Amino acid sequence: MKDTLGLIFFPAFDWMISPTHPERQERLLYTRDQLEEEGLFDCEEIKEYRPRLAQINDLQRAHIGVPAISRLITPAHLASAGGCLTAADAVMRGEVKRAFALVRPPGHHAMRVVHGIRGFCTINIEAIMVEYLRSKYQVRRIAVVDTDVHHGDGSQDVFYHDPDTLYISFHQDGRTLYPGTGFPEEAGSPGAWGTNINLPLLPGTGDEGLHRLYDGLISHILEDFQPELIINSAGQDNHFSDPLASMAVTAQGYARLADKLQADIAVLEGGYSIESALPYVNTGIILAMAGMDYSKVVEPDLSMLRVQDKRCNQRVDQLIEQVGELYFNRQKTRQQLLEKCGGVWQRRKGIYYDEEGIREQQLETVRYCSCGGYFTIQTAAEGTRFGDQSAFIACIPRYACAKCRQQAHDEALREKKSGRWQYVFVQNIVDGFIETI
Amino acid sequence: MRLSGYAVMTGSLFLSQAGIYCGGREYYIGHKMIRKYEGGADMLLGIDVGGTFTDAVIISKQEITAQAKVPTNHDDVLVSVLQALDRVLTDIDVSRLSRVVISSTIVTNALTEDRVEPVFLAVMTGPGMNVKGRFPVEPYYVSGYVDHRGKITAQIDWSRHRDLLQRKGSGSCAVSGKFAVREPQNEYQLKQELKKCGYQKIFLGSELSGELNFIRRTNSAYFAAAVYKVFDKFCQKVKLALAQRHIAVPVHILKADGGTLPLEAALNQPVEAVFTGPAASVLGIEALAAPELNSISLDVGGTTTDIAFWEQGLPLMAKKGALLKSYPTAVRSFHMRSIGIGGDSRITVTGDGYQVGPVREGPAAAVGGKTATLSDALIVAGYVNFGDEKKALQAVAAFGGEPKQEAEKIVQAAVKVITATISEMLAEWAKQPVYTVDDVIRGTEFVPQQLIGVGGGAQGLVAAVGKAMGLPVEIPAGAMVANAIGAALARPTLSAGLRADTTDGFYIIPESGKRQPLPRGFNMKKAETLLTQWLQQQAEKWQLPAQETELISSEHFRTIHGYYDTGDIYSLRMQLKPGILHKVHGREVEL
Repeated sequence: MKDTLGLIFFPAFDWMISPTHPERQERLLYTRDQLEEEGLFDCEEIKEYRPRLAQINDLQRAHIGVPAISRLITPAHLASAGGCLTAADAVMRGEVKRAFALVRPPGHHAMRVVHGIRGFCTINIEAIMVEYLRSKYQVRRIAVVDTDVHHGDGSQDVFYHDPDTLYISFHQDGRTLYPGTGFPEEAGSPGAWGTNINLPLLPGTGDEGLHRLYDGLISHILEDFQPELIINSAGQDNHFSDPLASMAVTAQGYARLADKLQADIAVLEGGYSIESALPYVNTGIILAMAGMDYSKVVEPDLSMLRVQDKRCNQRVDQLIEQVGELYFNRQKTRQQLLEKCGGVWQRRKGIYYDEEGIREQQLETVRYCSCGGYFTIQTAAEGTRFGDQSAFIACIPRYACAKCRQQAHDEALREKKSGRWQYVFVQNIVDGFIETI
Repeated sequence: MRLSGYAVMTGSLFLSQAGIYCGGREYYIGHKMIRKYEGGADMLLGIDVGGTFTDAVIISKQEITAQAKVPTNHDDVLVSVLQALDRVLTDIDVSRLSRVVISSTIVTNALTEDRVEPVFLAVMTGPGMNVKGRFPVEPYYVSGYVDHRGKITAQIDWSRHRDLLQRKGSGSCAVSGKFAVREPQNEYQLKQELKKCGYQKIFLGSELSGELNFIRRTNSAYFAAAVYKVFDKFCQKVKLALAQRHIAVPVHILKADGGTLPLEAALNQPVEAVFTGPAASVLGIEALAAPELNSISLDVGGTTTDIAFWEQGLPLMAKKGALLKSYPTAVRSFHMRSIGIGGDSRITVTGDGYQVGPVREGPAAAVGGKTATLSDALIVAGYVNFGDEKKALQAVAAFGGEPKQEAEKIVQAAVKVITATISEMLAEWAKQPVYTVDDVIRGTEFVPQQLIGVGGGAQGLVAAVGKAMGLPVEIPAGAMVANAIGAALARPTLSAGLRADTTDGFYIIPESGKRQPLPRGFNMKKAETLLTQWLQQQAEKWQLPAQETELISSEHFRTIHGYYDTGDIYSLRMQLKPGILHKVHGREVEL
């Protein structure tokens, strides 16, 4: 097996959001050309896999679609999620050492409850893969490192109450970029406090700042968390040429990061400099993950690259200190927060679906128990393709005890009787079965 | 004239129905009539140089008119070609020949026996994967780069290559640049300079393949340069020998993809003439029994079995180029494998059973051999019935145990290797690039519906494989000279691509090496027309028979910059329809 990399390349040349949208057919065209021209598919270090189609149940371990997830997706989503599952299987069966699902459509802005498309995403392909890894292979502790320039607010949402998933996202500061969230204080609900790590960077941060952050903080957190698997949400829009963001990372910067991170599975996320960045960044990541020499992967034109501003490293140093403290004191803080909230924690969220102009209001409630408890979501959305819709959802986590299961069901029945909701669902995370009450 | 023509037909039909054994190794049919024949040139001559025998065959109007078999002279392949040629032409008026096709092992042997020229290889890799160790020789690295859109992002910096400019060269060399199929200017410049250094024949990666894959194109160019001298010599001798025999018709060389090329054209891509034996075998099956169902063919010889896949009467082409000396190249070939199991395979006792092949033992005991071969096991196990069954039984009994049971075990050992190889081939076929949602949903699995067995050892072995795989088996009346038939009937193949990027206003047909300004109102239809025209011009240039063209693949993408349309990218590949000229209905003639 040595250093073999399983590569699932699915450019979805027949899927787009709209003809001039960044998520259009052309997005991975130049990457395909580069990978083919390099001859990467012939290297014995690289094993190619076909993506399979994910099942609806696979999706429903991470999502509840309103009115149903099957009515919100296209077949392309099943293929890109399926590509991630193929990657997971290849690694878990020991056929390859690592895998890279170079697939679209992307997913890290898709939250647990789905009313439509937001941030180019409908379903969260990493979250689906994480839940699959747990159900199929009994993996418990998983770290997801999100290297996309945008805050992965969808991944944060799905994993927010899950202390077994360490979600680390570095991204361009939310005050300057979509989706506007991703600050260190968003560190998880009390029971999972400190496993949601947000590292907002100043615009213009380049290879230097990025690696300073990785070496100074991310590597230490990963070492401490001791995950059984590391997953990389491999967005590539921190690249200096990306048209949607303002960072200054190069293909070398990304490749070296992939080399240090040694992710078991990487999944493509964003990256919209389809001509100047993606062909080179993807080549670099593939070579690094396959244990091959990536030192010669250099963009032909580096003249657009700006020198990193001094303030970028200052922000990095500040994050290393602040977030390091937050993470390494997390157990203590968790105790305090749990005591303070007295067994029930609630938060209100307003969610905007930029792609479709949907406005959603949520009230999330977590009820704690020694098993970890369960949580409920009340959602009301305006302007979906199905009109205005509302739902009450009880989510039963994997390790919930019989009592919590019963309570979650009882609550769902009560809400049904109240007649306040168009839909009442119970989500069984372990098998992706959604009961309509 | 009419009468004599009729007589030829009758003679052939006679052969095809009854089969005439004329003693020796040749068959002469109605030769006296043929001599008097004064019609136009209607005969195709095919020669196949095999590992053991060299076959020649003459085909006229869908009938095998004459065939000959001589032992192959490994020290000088040409000797065997000419011997077979002379034998098959003994009673034929050479003016009736319309074409000669040669499938020879000359290139394959030159490579396996390392009788190749040392090659100077110059590459322009630009940024990307480190290519160290990916080529058969350590290349000379030249600056200059073309990006994926075909834009020259760096010109060659000659000040860095003074040593190259002062090089004293001779013979052939190879040049290859990344993305040269999108813009070959850097390759041309380098070629120009190398010419000045004294190299006479310079192979360019972009001329050997119009498709993406820098490593494969480079290796193709390298191997083309390496075998050029040997191949050139062979071609010159063939030409001379044919001239001496007053044969003035086009002489074609069979290629690994089952197509033919005139000698002169083949000299520009000599590496394509590798692995023609298996290709000829596939074409022979096509000529004799093109299976309509999804089929797997097994050509079982004495030493090896060639396995190929069939869909709608056509053999499937490999998705990737052939491996030469374990280096990937751009040489197109059929999706097939050769394994070292045949009727004459040696049987070895192993710890937990038997191993069949890959060494050839010699003729089966049933037909006078000394020890048991796979054929003997097949006879004893009851799969086939020929030769002296008692001798086969005795030979198998030498392994101990109950002979019938042991024979079955031996057969199953062979079947296991074959079915495992077929499984690998099926998996390999299914593993095609998946670019669209449609590809994922449709799937690309090949589902075989039957097995086709040809070749001397096919009868019993293929039946055993069919039983193991639960598939029906068909054994068509094959010919002992199927390979030569395949060579005789092979059609010229020619494929080319076109890529147009309307943003920069040019289109390129990599195979032609020319970038042309786009005509007005360019679209996919116009692209097809342009490419068809170019293919037909090429066909004319090489005096190939008029053939239809077909579209292999096409892609269309709109290009967007900052939310606004900037143009379109069209890319397509077309080819002259491949296959054989026509079928033959010959029947097996027992040797």
